[in-house]
Amino acid sequence: MTDWRRIDIDAFDPESGRLTAADIAPPYATQVSLAELQPRIAQLRTLASSGDMQAAVALATSDPPYSADAQAKAAYFQAVLETLTQVRQADIAGVVKALQPAQQDVLVKYLYKGMSVPEGQKQGGILLAWFERLTQAAGVRPVTHYINDRNTV
Amino acid sequence: MSQSLRPYLTAVRYSLEAALTLTNFPSQEVERHNRPEIEVPNTSAELLLQPMHIARSETEQVLIEPSVNSVRVSLMVKQADEIEQILVHKFTMFLEQRAEAFYILRRVPVKGYSISFLITNKHTESMKTAKLVDFIIEFMEEVDKEISEMKLFLNARARFVANEYLGEFVY
Repeated sequence: MTDWRRIDIDAFDPESGRLTAADIAPPYATQVSLAELQPRIAQLRTLASSGDMQAAVALATSDPPYSADAQAKAAYFQAVLETLTQVRQADIAGVVKALQPAQQDVLVKYLYKGMSVPEGQKQGGILLAWFERLTQAAGVRPVTHYINDRNTV
Repeated sequence: MSQSLRPYLTAVRYSLEAALTLTNFPSQEVERHNRPEIEVPNTSAELLLQPMHIARSETEQVLIEPSVNSVRVSLMVKQADEIEQILVHKFTMFLEQRAEAFYILRRVPVKGYSISFLITNKHTESMKTAKLVDFIIEFMEEVDKEISEMKLFLNARARFVANEYLGEFVY
């Protein structure tokens, strides 16, 4: 046996207390599927196209599909991004102010997620405008919550 | 400051402020070691926090990766054409070769980014956190200005040289 000094024996100890990414993922009772999300995505699109941006953003940021798989999350995120980019620059401040603190926390997750994928980076200016209004309304709090939250959108 | 740059810098400022809450944290794996957890191959997922991407466009981005005792900040400087790519590469290389004089500068940038900073709890203990944030913001402002200025000089110089050289052949 070669290199036995480099074998990480703690990894074989089930009580070593080491945590992997799977260990710290929050436990979800149920898993939301893409099919269950479709009505919400449709509702989001209807609200956005009818011009009721306040309600659309509030819907997008309340009860996000944390437990869904990557594909469903991506589909939902796409709808949220479309909604966010449809809001006029002048209305952003009002929409953000009307959100509950928990909704603001979710909004910042979508903003960071948006800026990490190419389709959101194309809209970087709009997402940054949202971010600026959000920090004006809520300060550093949503960002701090984002960093420490293991629920991802 | 231009209208579109301000929200970008504000976002970076708030993200850094939130991320720069570091504490002394000895390694859980190697005895009597104290290492930046963001940099080492980590077997303890709880020490790493959610990474933050801030993007102004596809070519201008910041990635902030926080952990319990260190934060890694990576900048992607805007590179519109090949001249800017060369200039950014030379400029960041120049700084990185002198990294120990900059304390928080990382010698090698994270893959895909132009330049990276590594801030550990040692830095936040010995320096003012607000000033560290200010420094990074100022660096981001300056580097763009510097690159476009260098590009202008380079073009002016190239034009002058070409004039002088090709002037020889005019009869």
